[in-house]
Amino acid sequence: MRTFALSRDTFHILVALADRDRHGYSIMQEVSARTGGSVRLSPSTLYSAIKRLLEEGLIEELAERPDPAHDDERRRYYRLTKAGRKAAAAEAAHLEKLLADARSSGLLPKRS
Amino acid sequence: MLTFYRACLRLYPGDFRDEYARELTLVLADRLRDESSPVLRLAIWLHALLGILIEAPLEHLRVLAADARYAVRLLRRETSVTLAATGMLALGIGAATLVFTIANAILLRPLPFPSADRLVSIDEYNPADRRNGDTVAYPNFVDLRGRARSFEHIGVYADGKSAIRHPDGNEPVLLAAVSEGFLPAFGVAPALGRFFTAEETVPNGPRVAILGYSLFERRFGADPSIVGRALNTVDGTFTIVGVMPRGFQFPNLCDLWVPLGMDANGPRTDYFLSAVGRLREDVSSHDANREVAMLMAQIKQQHTPNNGWIGRVQPLRDVLNAGYRPAVVLLLAAAALLLAIACANVSHLLLVKASARAREMAVRTAMGATRRRLVRQLVTEGLILGIIGGVAGAFLASLGLPALLALVPIQLPSWLDFSADGRVLAFAVGLSLATSLAFACLPALNLSRRSILNRLKDAGRAVTASPRQQRLRHALIVLELAVALTLLAGASLAARSFMAVRGQPLGYQAGSILSMQLDYPGDRYPDGAAARTLVDRLRAELSALPGVRSVGFTTGIPLNSTWGRLYTVEGRDLPLEQMSFANHIVISPGFFRTLELPIVRGRDFTDADYGLPHLIVDRRFAEAFFPSGDAVGRRVRFGPPKSREPWHTIVGVAADSRQGTLKAQARYNLYLPYSKDVSLSSLIVRTAAPGTVLPDIRARLRAIDREIATDRVFTLEELADRGAWQDRFLAVVSASFAILALVLAAGGFYAVLAYAVSLRTHEIGVRMALGAAAADVRRMVVSQALRLAGAGLALGLAGAAVVGFLIRTELYQVSPIDPVTFVVAPAVFLLTAIASAILPTRRATRVDPLIALRHE
Repeated sequence: MRTFALSRDTFHILVALADRDRHGYSIMQEVSARTGGSVRLSPSTLYSAIKRLLEEGLIEELAERPDPAHDDERRRYYRLTKAGRKAAAAEAAHLEKLLADARSSGLLPKRS
Repeated sequence: MLTFYRACLRLYPGDFRDEYARELTLVLADRLRDESSPVLRLAIWLHALLGILIEAPLEHLRVLAADARYAVRLLRRETSVTLAATGMLALGIGAATLVFTIANAILLRPLPFPSADRLVSIDEYNPADRRNGDTVAYPNFVDLRGRARSFEHIGVYADGKSAIRHPDGNEPVLLAAVSEGFLPAFGVAPALGRFFTAEETVPNGPRVAILGYSLFERRFGADPSIVGRALNTVDGTFTIVGVMPRGFQFPNLCDLWVPLGMDANGPRTDYFLSAVGRLREDVSSHDANREVAMLMAQIKQQHTPNNGWIGRVQPLRDVLNAGYRPAVVLLLAAAALLLAIACANVSHLLLVKASARAREMAVRTAMGATRRRLVRQLVTEGLILGIIGGVAGAFLASLGLPALLALVPIQLPSWLDFSADGRVLAFAVGLSLATSLAFACLPALNLSRRSILNRLKDAGRAVTASPRQQRLRHALIVLELAVALTLLAGASLAARSFMAVRGQPLGYQAGSILSMQLDYPGDRYPDGAAARTLVDRLRAELSALPGVRSVGFTTGIPLNSTWGRLYTVEGRDLPLEQMSFANHIVISPGFFRTLELPIVRGRDFTDADYGLPHLIVDRRFAEAFFPSGDAVGRRVRFGPPKSREPWHTIVGVAADSRQGTLKAQARYNLYLPYSKDVSLSSLIVRTAAPGTVLPDIRARLRAIDREIATDRVFTLEELADRGAWQDRFLAVVSASFAILALVLAAGGFYAVLAYAVSLRTHEIGVRMALGAAAADVRRMVVSQALRLAGAGLALGLAGAAVVGFLIRTELYQVSPIDPVTFVVAPAVFLLTAIASAILPTRRATRVDPLIALRHE
């Protein structure tokens, strides 16, 4: 069986960046919102993960600001790269497969 | 709150901080702003701090891992540099670790007894002559024991020997006669039975004994019911009262303890007992020393004669290792110098490599690497080299230790343990780290001080070197050469000293004289007629053996320690403090014939001299006291001035010879005929083939009495080797270090010159294009080589003089500015320097101007 290629925090960050480009605080808020507050990243965890994602080419830093009207010019924005999107999708597909397995084995109730 | 958070961000690596500190602070500020509850704000803040504590070390590790990966890639690419650097480091670190392992065993490891730091030696010493010491007179000891408050236990011992009776042949055993406080002082309990009581350690006390564990196992199969049984020795039967625990041996290699039965009212000038004590927990050896010095002064004032010797307390380990200490310190210094040379070479190698890498550094700088990062990269490379060198060095040291110990012909004391312990490990690791930092710092500093602009400017062109860099390299190589010469001179002094010890005239053909110790059953051959009959029979039967030229008996085999006694020449009485010691040697007829020592005046002893107060003196004695040649017929008496010992009449003068140990102060040799008071048990045999006659001698001894055991069977040649082993050890090891140092320094010198030539290829090409002859070019390179070698020579000679001065007390009949050393060492040094300069010089003269200029 394949092990998880992405850590939980990394996966959450990639998912948060899937719909639009975000700055650090926005990523943090998005992750918190999506998980109902159960995953709260500290600034340190967030930027260590961002640094590694940048090095691995899964995200990139934007040179220009996405939306000048709502943009805070002090902040750096990040975007999912193609490779990042692929990695996140592969991870999601894998999770889906796991979920399906759990359902078919009766571990989880089958979806109606 | 945010200020503190910002301060905490300093825990991150600099690069990370530069990149993300602002973002981190902003994000935290946003979160705090969006939360109104003070409790939750505090929680957010703490969460952020915790995040730093977790992530910052991880970031450091990531940077380190990245640097290490990069460094390993680089080191693998430059295989030859890596091999050379790690090889030199391995040699340096290996030598240092090897010597440290020895130093650790001798100087640092606690003695193998509980709370060994509380064990002390107690002695009296002569302030006028420090060679006399390490012993106490028994009555002084008894008085001291009654008054001293510093000790939990205090006891004396004298070592001796006996043999245990056995149907298969008697087994010689080393024993110690001890007072009742001796064994308890070591802080161990007997494995079986008990220690001696005060009632047992008196003159003519009960014959009881305590066994060492190995004897207990070997002879008695570790039978737990041994206590109370009899121990049958050639000196009588003893009742076993106890067994010491496994591994306990003191004094050295001793396997049997018996009570010391000395008279507390005996003479206060007989010094042969050693004393040990266990300090009370709250007393330092310093305090104890003060108390003992004071009490001993009181004791001496109450008794005559007062010889003025001073009571003293020293840590026991310091006394036991005193004989090895100077050699260990010397070897440590030699290893440190060797390591310094290796480090200088590696440093130079990295300096050259750093200049060659100027372009790489410039490119990385342009790509955004900070100076901090580049320095860090260099240090990481150094650390990796250091770690590889350290591991290889530790491996070399583990190979070297058995080789080194094989140079030791004697059985080393049982308290010495040469195995590697945590201290050795810590030393090797610390040394690897320290050295790698040391040699990585130079290129790193160099890099740091040069501006990026400079580097970019340089990088386009062929490799050059700044004058500063060049000076640094030259200073390094001059120091290296100087250290190599210093080591060479030190090794030469050690070798010359060894040759002086081992090559001194002994007065006899040491290789053809076999010596051995015979152990007779003392109960069957007490002093007197029975002993005389035995000795005479042995003399007659052994000299009749084929291959045996002559045999003699003595109380002191040459090259072993001798009994020193005070003496007075009749009519020349001296006060006690001015008297000196002479070797008091009791011999049988045949002694001088066996050693082939001619009698130069008077006559040799015959059987008729048995028990008579006659004396043969050596030529030096005769010439010192009777220069006009009338020694025969004069009289000499032994003992302190007021002793009642009889006068001995000189009947002959024998040629000079080395009695006593090789390095002992040369004392006059005074020979006495044997008598009923002395049991002669040391045998010397002159033979052309010591190896082949030995079985015959043993067979004959067994035939005469199967209870006679032989022990310490050596030719005098072997005894001389054993006596000089420390000098030989020091000479061999320091010579090995010096040769390694010379090779390393020669390699370094070659590298510096070759590099200098490569830097000047362009200049040389221009000169040659302008008409300079090969000879001019040669002169240019050679003059540089000579300047460097000359500076190294001058510094090295100064270093050699310092070394000579520092080790002068360890040298035997060699001047610290020994002319041979100060001619040979510089000559070898210069030859090596010239040899190292040949290749670079030839390369310089073969520069083709066309090719050299094409580089532009």
